[in-house]
Amino acid sequence: MFKPLTLRTYLLVAALIALALALPHVIDDSYLLHLMILSIIFAIFASAWNLVTGFAGLKTFGHHAFFGIGAYASALLGINLGLSPWLTIWLAAVIAALAGVFIGTPILRIRSMPHVAIVTLAFAEIVRITISNLQGITRGELGLWGIPAFEGFMLPLIGEVVFNPSVKLWYYYLALGLLLLSIGLIALMMRSKVGLAVVAMRDGEDAAESLGINLARFKLLVFGVSAFLVGLAGAFYAHYVSILTPMAAVGPDLIILVIAMVLVGGLGTFSGPIIGAFVLTFLGESLRVLDDYRLLIYGALIILSIMFMPRGLATIGSFFRRRPAEARAD
Amino acid sequence: MTIFLEQIINGIIIGSMYALIGSGIALIYGTMRVLNLAHGEFYMMGGYLVFFLVVAYAVPPWLAIPIAIAAIFVLGMLVQRLTIAYLLPREEWAFATIAATLGLSIFLQNLALILFGEQFQSIPYYLPGVVEIAGLRLPQQRLLMLVVAVITIAIMTFVLAKTRFGWALRATSQDKDAAAVVGIPAARIYTLTFGIAAALGCIAAAMLAPIYAVNPWMGMPVLFKGFVVVILGGLGSFPGAIVGGILLGIVEAVGVQVTSSEWRDVIAFGLMILVIWVRPWGLFGKPR
Amino acid sequence: MLEIEGLDVFYGDFQVLWDVSLTVGSAEVVAVLGPNGSGKSTVLKAIMGLTAAKRGRITFEGHDLRRVPTHGKVDLGISMVLERRRLFGAMSVQENVLLGAYSCRDKAEIARRLEWVESLFPIIAERRGQEAGRMSGGEQQMVAIARSLMSKPRLLLMDEPFLGLAPRIVHQILDIIRKIHAEGISVVFNEQNVQLSFGLSDRGYLLESGRVVLSGTGDEMLSSDVVRRVYLGG
Repeated sequence: MFKPLTLRTYLLVAALIALALALPHVIDDSYLLHLMILSIIFAIFASAWNLVTGFAGLKTFGHHAFFGIGAYASALLGINLGLSPWLTIWLAAVIAALAGVFIGTPILRIRSMPHVAIVTLAFAEIVRITISNLQGITRGELGLWGIPAFEGFMLPLIGEVVFNPSVKLWYYYLALGLLLLSIGLIALMMRSKVGLAVVAMRDGEDAAESLGINLARFKLLVFGVSAFLVGLAGAFYAHYVSILTPMAAVGPDLIILVIAMVLVGGLGTFSGPIIGAFVLTFLGESLRVLDDYRLLIYGALIILSIMFMPRGLATIGSFFRRRPAEARAD
Repeated sequence: MTIFLEQIINGIIIGSMYALIGSGIALIYGTMRVLNLAHGEFYMMGGYLVFFLVVAYAVPPWLAIPIAIAAIFVLGMLVQRLTIAYLLPREEWAFATIAATLGLSIFLQNLALILFGEQFQSIPYYLPGVVEIAGLRLPQQRLLMLVVAVITIAIMTFVLAKTRFGWALRATSQDKDAAAVVGIPAARIYTLTFGIAAALGCIAAAMLAPIYAVNPWMGMPVLFKGFVVVILGGLGSFPGAIVGGILLGIVEAVGVQVTSSEWRDVIAFGLMILVIWVRPWGLFGKPR
Repeated sequence: MLEIEGLDVFYGDFQVLWDVSLTVGSAEVVAVLGPNGSGKSTVLKAIMGLTAAKRGRITFEGHDLRRVPTHGKVDLGISMVLERRRLFGAMSVQENVLLGAYSCRDKAEIARRLEWVESLFPIIAERRGQEAGRMSGGEQQMVAIARSLMSKPRLLLMDEPFLGLAPRIVHQILDIIRKIHAEGISVVFNEQNVQLSFGLSDRGYLLESGRVVLSGTGDEMLSSDVVRRVYLGG
């Protein structure tokens, strides 16, 4: 699956980046930018979830815990210690990564997928209930507000960089930067020895073990990096929306949305989660009028893509050339 | 002391309901190795069915509840036929079924929200009285729950041990191919099992609905309780789920006395993660 | 009675059987021979429908077996002893054997069949209540054969019936197969050991890398160069 990158791939990626950079100058619409920013946050989240679930084959359902941990950690560090978001988003991502390693260690010992699914779901519920119950610190269901915004600065040649709710431009570029960083990190990782080992492990645990690779440590590393990226996305989200509630930042709806995105886009592909995040965010917005129907549609999308499009939009081209599934060897 | 004892008894009664939900999850996992994340929604739909029959159409509960159970049984079989049965032959069926049932759960939850609205509905107690036994005051409603649970578990135990279907179910869960070559139609057993598991959820919903309220989100928390139950008892074990359910009921009752009610779920989940950490095969099972 | 023509089977992208053809007459014992990985187990599994065939025809007394689900083949009169016994380990010997008659609802008929298999395998009656998983390999094989006979098959498929058994047990199983044959039941089994197989079978098919390379009676095959090449590397 990890073929050498062709010139065509490089050109395509460069063109997409150029397009993304140029977008705000072509269409100056703050609502469109807002949607782009949300899509990017989810693209990071979805790519990181896909790293663990699609590439490493460890099916977790509790990654929204890391999103919430990242969001609340960054916000609380900013509010209580007066630290700048430029610093706290990284601290929060590290805290999320530590939480990932903490919960990842027991999970990685479990080979049974249902057990992993249950533990990860329950872990996220524990995080959500704890945040909701610790009202003295998080203000619980009332919502945490007064989250500091990113400080602006002067950039030579370009001018003043500002972050406030009415000017989305620099939030957009910052988000884009974080997305490129995340994708780059995931791509680097999957093309390294770690990535090869992890995929070998997904496709046959015993085969990889016989290579004498320390699998547990690699898996934990992948899990930690994934939690780090999700935490980073959460932290950015906190300073972007500037108000957090347990339901919005750690609710099960979040992971459902992300799963829908990855499945629609294509599990276990690089571009799938990103495609899925953009498609579903924009689709969700166009359904704004039918607000009550959004989750209904996400649910239906999950079922339909699993049943009829198991490889997602990212590989839709090859869908028609695919041979029907054969019976498995036992 | 009597209050403490009453709490324990209440814990056992609620636990018997957890046992019904957990045993459904265990039956489905035990026979087809599928983790059904939509299990809570059968409970939710059962709750609504009983609510509409009893409150809106004034059907007496003794008739309304069997009708609801039968309907949810059929619905469960339908869901299995249309989704799970289609996904099981896939190579990545384990993940596909978890994801599909998760999608189904969200779908059904929001369908209920659209159809029935977000207001919490209540069902009157089936039995309004209170009994006093040795100085303990127990609402008849709660005693009825215990009686229903005991009867249901007894029937299920008999079905599994003594009937042709029960044999086929146990054989299929032990070895699908071996069951097929003796002539057991595994696909049909799977479908029936799914229906029965859904019906067990509906029984719990019918009994719990008068105590808790009926609402579109009632399935999710119950699903999580069911997970704790099956982890305690060993995933896939029917008797394990029964014991696990009662145990969870007691632990929660005691835990809430010691801390406060908003930490109830954290206690339950913490206990579950602890069990997975030290005894992944459950408290009563054997390691494989 | 059983006819296979041009059978191709794949495991994923990997083809394990190539254009296999084979026939079994009524009351005939047929051996499917071949070294490890030659696909001989797959032939039996494909007949029973435990692995899907990609191309080819499998018919049993005029029925197209590829259209019949595994459990339905039992009703047609085919039964199979799976490789490594595959008993229901947590159930008793009696329950295992009775499950073999799952498709029969006539209690008197089940009792007759039980009496019949108990006469073939006295151990069934002796160990009635024992948990099947706790028996020795040889004892389990007897229960497995008894279970497959409870459906009153006219064709019995046996996948590696002698695998991992002590020589004494192998001889007992050989005797049983002869008795089954004497009752007019056709038997198809697979085995690596050619000598052993032809002590039992009327005819045999030799598979190599998923293809039938030789077929014929025991004497014909034993004197063939191909058998020597495949088995002795000569």
